[in-house]
This record gives sequence, structure tokens and C-alpha cells, in this order.
Amino acid sequence: MIEAAGLVKHFRSADGTVVKAVDGVSFVVGRGEMVGLLGANGVGKTTTMRLLATLLQPTAGTARIDGCDVTTDPLGVRRRLGYLSATTGVPDRLTPREVLQSFGRLHGFDQAALAGRVPALLDALGLGDCAERPCGRLSTGQRQRVSLGRALVHDPPALVLDEPTSGLDVVGSRDLLDLLERLRWEGRSILISTHRLHEIERRCDRFLIIHAGRIVAAGTREEMIAAPGGLEGAFFAAVEPGAHP
Amino acid sequence: MIVWRGILAVAGFQLRRLLAPQRVIVVALAAAFPAAVMLAVRRIAGDIDRNFAVVLLYALVPEMLCMLGLLVTMCPVVADELERGTWQHVAVRPGGRWSLLLGTFLAAVTWTATVALFALALALVAAGLSDAGRLAAVFAALVVVSCVGRAALFALPAVIVPKRALVASVAAAFVVEYLAGFLPAVINQLTVSLRLRSLLVHWMGWERALPTELQLLVDTQPVWVQIMAVVTLATVMLVAAGLILARRQFPPAEEA
Repeated sequence: MIEAAGLVKHFRSADGTVVKAVDGVSFVVGRGEMVGLLGANGVGKTTTMRLLATLLQPTAGTARIDGCDVTTDPLGVRRRLGYLSATTGVPDRLTPREVLQSFGRLHGFDQAALAGRVPALLDALGLGDCAERPCGRLSTGQRQRVSLGRALVHDPPALVLDEPTSGLDVVGSRDLLDLLERLRWEGRSILISTHRLHEIERRCDRFLIIHAGRIVAAGTREEMIAAPGGLEGAFFAAVEPGAHP
Repeated sequence: MIVWRGILAVAGFQLRRLLAPQRVIVVALAAAFPAAVMLAVRRIAGDIDRNFAVVLLYALVPEMLCMLGLLVTMCPVVADELERGTWQHVAVRPGGRWSLLLGTFLAAVTWTATVALFALALALVAAGLSDAGRLAAVFAALVVVSCVGRAALFALPAVIVPKRALVASVAAAFVVEYLAGFLPAVINQLTVSLRLRSLLVHWMGWERALPTELQLLVDTQPVWVQIMAVVTLATVMLVAAGLILARRQFPPAEEA
């Protein structure tokens, strides 16, 4: 389960002014649930996700991953969370198998454990055929799947995915989202952000719309799709100037 | 155990990165440089004075080659990880930040020391000195001490100013190692260069032969004190770098 309660993150800009990147965000993503976090650039999506991933410390409020608090138990969070950022950051010279093995070792897996886990993960991600090819020679979609494999190598119950379909073509996006749906059916809690609303319109169970660091609208898939103009209509209605004082 | 496996995983990964073909060619040329200098000196001067050859070897291998080797491995690698977005994927693992720092340190020391030892072997052959075996042992120890101390020194600028890691490391090398290190004052006790010079003087038996003014530039305490001083310095610098990294936050670019 992913829980955020009154999450606040302020940054101090170069001129000394305080930027409220996240301003009191609260939500829950239950087990076996996939929730879409939607918002324009610079409204606090990535900051929220980085707070959940312990890459940032909250100014106020808190968040829990599978019961572990991001402030008081960051190690527990790191053991239970799979995080995928918008930048894949996959090393060019390593093969997908080596990437997954290296990151498995970072979680303390020994060779025997990795020998079982890594091939199964490569197959599940559809990377079996290119497992021995350096990542620098893989397509964008394949690199993104390696990045997802890196997030899944320790079999986490919760996933925070920041624009996982960024840079992928239609087929690559569909395959990745199919995979995420399978992970959701396995009982994982998934929080996913994207700009491509049509892609996740029928995939997520619920949606959160964030604007200026606040959740300005939230609802189930049915509620959002039923709005005039569907999910896109609900999104623009929530973020357009004047929608919120 | 988790951190140790993580350190080894990172070290293995960094060593594979360092083994890029272009880098290996450049490093092979750099490793041949001390031998080329020795050959050039022999060609110009005939037989080389042994003490002169030792000083030249010291300047070329544990000082120049190790310093340059670590400058182009330790700080750019740490800084690259921080800047190119690889870091955040490691930082979300238990013990990931320490593993990346110490694994990179281990890889930089292993890589640079291996190159320096190779260069040392070539240079000793080129110098044609009589007791090459003993000199090889002395210089191998100096190479290891130099790599451990300087890699830890360069870790600090890399984590403090990753965008200017190389410039900051060059500045640290000059200010700390070659300015403070040659001041006959308490400050030079905090440098690796003082320990290296002192070890060289001790192992070569030069204590009494040194002119008085040069004696101010070495420390006369026993070998174990010099080595413990470098180990302590390296530990303090790595812990400081690790603590900075452990507290480091990774804001999205637009808020950074």
C-alpha cells in the first residue's frame, strides 16, 4: 500500500523565494490498485514521487510504503518500493542481465538467488532475446523495460513509476502498460504518472489530478470517464485557470 | 552483508565501464610514459644516477600517474552518476548511496593502482637499475598508499560540487597536496604527499643524507604512523563524502 498524508515539499530558489512544489498532498493506493497521477510539467508530480522514493525529504507531512514511513524508516521503504524515473539511466556497457544482477546484489541477493530471479524477470519483461546485448544497443522500449526490471528485481509490493512510457512508441507503450496491468493483478500497488492520458484512461482504477502542488481532483475511472470530454475533459476542467481559487 | 555485496556489485560495474576500448588505449599510452622518460634520460645522460632515477620514478608514478589516473576515474565517475540520473536508481536501494561511493572508490583504486604498477614495471625495466626487485616493492607500496589516499581526497569534491568535479579535484590536488603538503607546518600533516615522501625517504634510507632544509619536508615518525595517517585521512574523507551523499536530496530539474 502507498499512503501520503499531508505531504509538503518546499524548495528555496536561487533568489531566496520559497517554491511550494508539493503542498499538502494526501492519497492512498491500495493493494492490487493502479492509480494515475496526472498533471502538467512542474506541478509537483515528480517531486511527489521522489518523496515517496526517499530521494527527497518532506518539509512536512509523511508517506508510508507498505507500512514503512519515508522519514523514520527509509531503509524499510527502499526494500519495499520499486521506483522508475523518467530518465532510464541504464548503463550503456552493461547487458540487461548484468544490470539486473548488479541491482539484485544491491538488495543483498546472493548468486544462487539471482540465478533463479534474473532469468525469470528477463522472460517476464520480454528481454530474453537481448539479455546478453549491451544496453547501449537496445531500443528505447527495451531500455525502458530494463529500467522496469531494475525496479522489480527485489519483488517489491509497491511501484512508483514516473512517466514509464516516456519516449516509447505506441507498441512499446502498450506492451509496457500490459505488463504493468499484470503486476497490478499480482497484488502490487502502483502509482503511475504520465502526460499521455489516453494511454492510461482504461488501465488505472483511479486518477489523481495534481496542479500547483495540490490534488485538485480525484475519482475512479468510471467517474472520470463519465465527465464531459472523458478523462481529458476532467483533467482540463480541474487545471484550467479559475477552476481553483 | 547487503552493503558489502552492493560495494562489490558497484565496483564490478564501474570496472567494466573503465574497460572501454578507447580508455584502455589512452591508459596504455599513459602507462608507457614513465618508461619513455627513463629511456630518454638514459639516452641523453648515459647511465642514470640511482638516486636521481628513484626521485624521477617517484615523481612520475606514485605522484603524477596516480594523481592523473584518479582524477580521470574517481571524480568524473561519481559526478557522472550524480549528473546523468544513474544515481537516483541506486539511491533508492538499501545502502545504495554508500555502496556507490565505496564501490566507485574501490574500482578507482583497483584500476589506477593496476595501471600504475604496470607503468612501474615498464619504467624499472627501462631504467635498468641494479636492485629493481627491491625498488619495485617500495614503489608498489607507495602506489597503493597514493591511490587509497588520493581517491578518498577526490571523492569529496565529486560529491560536494558534482557539476565542477574535475575542476574542484584539480584545485584540491594543487592546494591540498602540492601547496599545503609542502608547507613546513602542521597543515602538511593532513596531506598524503607528506606521508608518501616520508615513506620514500625512510624506505630508501635517505634520512641522514637529506639536507636540513629538505628534512623539514618529511616526517620522521615510523612507517606504521605514516600508513595509519593515510588510512585515517582516507577514512575521514570517505565518511564525510558518504554522509554528504546520505543527506543529499534529488530534486527534479525544474525545482533544483
